[in-house]
Amino acid sequence: MANSKDSIDVKRVEAAFNPVQDQDLDIYGEELKKYTIVDVDVHVDDTLQNMLPYMDGHFGKRLEAVLAADFMGEPHNSLRNMIAHVSWLGAAYDKHPRAKLATKEDLLERMEYGIIDYSILFPSELLPIGYLPDPKWAAALASAYNEYMVDAYSNVAGVKLAIVVSPKSVEHAVSEIEKHASNDDVVTVSIPDVGVNPPLGDEKYWPIYEAAEACNLPVSLHGIEALIHDNYPLRVSHFPTLMQVHSMGFPFTSMLQVMSVVCEGVPVRYPNLKFCVMEAGITWVPFIMHRLDTAYRQYRTELPALEAQPSEYISKWYWGTHELEKLPKKGDLSKLLDLYQGHNTTMWASDWPHLERDLIAGLMYYDLDDDVRAKILGKNAIDFYGFTT
Amino acid sequence: MKERNGKRRVAVAPVDEFPPGARLEIKVGNRSIAVFNVKGEYFAIFGLCPHQSAPLSRGRLQGTVVCNEHTNWEKEWAHDGEVLVCPGHAMEFDLRTGKAFGYGMKLRTYDVIVEDDWVTVIL
Ligand code: FES
Repeated sequence: MANSKDSIDVKRVEAAFNPVQDQDLDIYGEELKKYTIVDVDVHVDDTLQNMLPYMDGHFGKRLEAVLAADFMGEPHNSLRNMIAHVSWLGAAYDKHPRAKLATKEDLLERMEYGIIDYSILFPSELLPIGYLPDPKWAAALASAYNEYMVDAYSNVAGVKLAIVVSPKSVEHAVSEIEKHASNDDVVTVSIPDVGVNPPLGDEKYWPIYEAAEACNLPVSLHGIEALIHDNYPLRVSHFPTLMQVHSMGFPFTSMLQVMSVVCEGVPVRYPNLKFCVMEAGITWVPFIMHRLDTAYRQYRTELPALEAQPSEYISKWYWGTHELEKLPKKGDLSKLLDLYQGHNTTMWASDWPHLERDLIAGLMYYDLDDDVRAKILGKNAIDFYGFTT
Repeated sequence: MKERNGKRRVAVAPVDEFPPGARLEIKVGNRSIAVFNVKGEYFAIFGLCPHQSAPLSRGRLQGTVVCNEHTNWEKEWAHDGEVLVCPGHAMEFDLRTGKAFGYGMKLRTYDVIVEDDWVTVIL
C-alpha cells in the first residue's frame, strides 16, 4: 500500500533494444557490493573472422570460403547459425531484444560497473567442434580460438580464460593443454560436450584428463543447443521447435556425459581432476546422482573400478547455475542444494551476453544463508578455478 | 500524491509531455510501476518482471502468436502493439489486463486518469 509519505520518482524511459543487464536493475543497491562475484560463463565475440589471422595454409583458405558465404544476414557468419539455428530463424518473431556479440569494450564496460569482479570466458562459436565431422578442421579451429583469446584477453584485470579442445583430436587436445597451461589467465580446459560420441568417459579421451590433471587445470563441459549432430541422446530432427531443443539439449547431454565419465572410472583414475558442467541448469543433478546409485546396487560388477557409489563422485563435481531454474518457492533452492550437496560446488553463471543470460536477481530471489550466497556468487568458483584474487 | 476515497493518486506527467509512444518508469516508495501511452490510451502496470526483476517500463510493445478455440487451434498473430515484452528474457504481458501470456498469473494493473491536465495513476 502506498503511503502518502512515500517518495515518488518519475523517469522518462525508452524501450530497450538490447536485453537488460544486472546494472540496469537497481533493486539491490549496495547489497551486491559485499560479495566477490565471479561470473563463470561469459562469452565474447569469437566469430570466425577473428580466427582468420590464426589459421594457415589450407585451413586458412577453408575459413576464407566459410566467411565468404552469405548467411541470412547474421553477423559475421556464425558457425552456430550455419549449423543449425537456420532451422528456427524467425520462430521467435523477433520477440527478443537482439543479443549482441560482446566486444572486448563491452566486456570491460560490464566489469567497470563493479558488480562482476571476475569473468571466465568460454567459447560460443567453437562449441560445435565437439561434433564437426573432420577432426583436423575441428583441431585447427580450436588452436586458432585459443591463440586468439590468449592474445586478446590475457592480462586483462578480472578476466580468465577457458581454452577449448576438440575431443575428436585427443593428441591435439593434449598439446593445446600443455601449450597454454603456464598462462596464469588460463584457468580451465573446456570440452564442448554436445554430440560427442563415444561419450566422454571413453578410454580414448583419458590422455586429455591426464594432461589436464598434470597441468592442474579443471575440466569444464559446455554444451550448445544447436543439435545438428546425429548422435545420442538427442538429434535436431527430433524437434520442431527450438524451445524443445534448447530445453533438453543441455541437461540430457550433461547427464549422459556425467554418467559416462563417472561410470568409466575417470574420477578414480584421475582423483585430482576437477570437473564442472556449464549451461545445463541444476535441477537435474539430484536425479542423475540418485538414479545412478539405484542402478549401481544391481550392476556394480560392471563398474569394478568404482570405490564408492556414483553419487559420491558426482557430489564433487561443480555446476554453473545457468540457466537457473525458477522454482516455485523461495526456499526451494536451499532444498535442492541439500539434495545434491551443492553448497560448495555451485557457481553463479550468467551466460552473458546471450539472450537467455541470467541476471543476479534470479539467484537473489531465493532465500539462502548469506555464507551460501557468497559461495555461489564467487567463492566456489575461486576454489574450482584456483586463481588468486 | 493526493488521496481520494482511500485511493492514492500520483500525478506523473502533464498530458502534453506524455505523448503517444512515450513511457515512464515511476517509483512510489519501493514499488515500481510502468506507465505507457499507446496511441492516446494510458496503461499502468506493475513494473518489475516476476522472473528476474527486469524493468518492464523498458519492454517493447509488440504483438504475439495465439492458438486457441477461437482460432480453430491455428496459430494467429494477435494483440498487435499491446503485448509488453520483458526486456529480460521476453515474458509477455497483456498491457490491458496484466495477464502473462502462457502463464496462470497476472501482474497488477492500475487505472490511469487525466486530472487537471496531468496523467494520474491511481494506486
Ligand atoms: S526478467 Fe523478465 S523474462 Fe526474465
